Amino acid sequence: MDRVNRRIELPAPPAEVWSALTEGISEWFGAEADLRPERGSRATFRWPDGRERGAVVEAVEPERLLTFRWLPFERVSGGGTAMVGPGRVELAIAPSGRATVLSVTEWVAAPAREAEGALG
Amino acid sequence: MTPDRSAEVFAALSDPTRRRLLDHLSRRGPASATELTDVVPISRQAVAKHLAVLEEAGLVAGERSGRERRFRLTPAPMSEAMSWMAAVGADWDERLDALRRHLRRR
Repeated sequence: MDRVNRRIELPAPPAEVWSALTEGISEWFGAEADLRPERGSRATFRWPDGRERGAVVEAVEPERLLTFRWLPFERVSGGGTAMVGPGRVELAIAPSGRATVLSVTEWVAAPAREAEGALG
Repeated sequence: MTPDRSAEVFAALSDPTRRRLLDHLSRRGPASATELTDVVPISRQAVAKHLAVLEEAGLVAGERSGRERRFRLTPAPMSEAMSWMAAVGADWDERLDALRRHLRRR
């Protein structure tokens, strides 16, 4: 109820998919993002409408898992800042024959154990 | 549409006792904390705490009526949260299409 799940098969091996999820993220995410696959690193996502949102990378297992947590505010076009809910995105990949299966989960609320001290 | 209330709404809905209380208010109309102790096997004080969480999330509204407040269901935040989830899902459908196209081109 508090999360969105999607699972698709992609026509490329895990190494290529991993590259697309990390260095190539701006090519498909719908926002320009300076994401680095390094635990603890910060990324900024900028949408074409001027909205900006920050994220912190939480888990990195090359060619297997990338997780990042949305920071609970976003910058809106016009320069203001709005508080938004916490959230988390998990991207898990696994080989499937010559293709790769990608499982995406986005939590719209922070999982219970993280609810306290979710900021920062 | 803003996502900022969704976290509170989902946290409020994550507890089965609170879901039971919402279900009762939905089917039977407004009730006080004392009346709701007939619905769930917990103390009046515990019911009052759950109602406070639901009120904070905007899912119920309390009105003074005699000695006790009576609570009624105000479900708009629930449908807002569900709409938000649908929007997040639609965003991912678009992204995954774009990712597939991006990988085909490489």
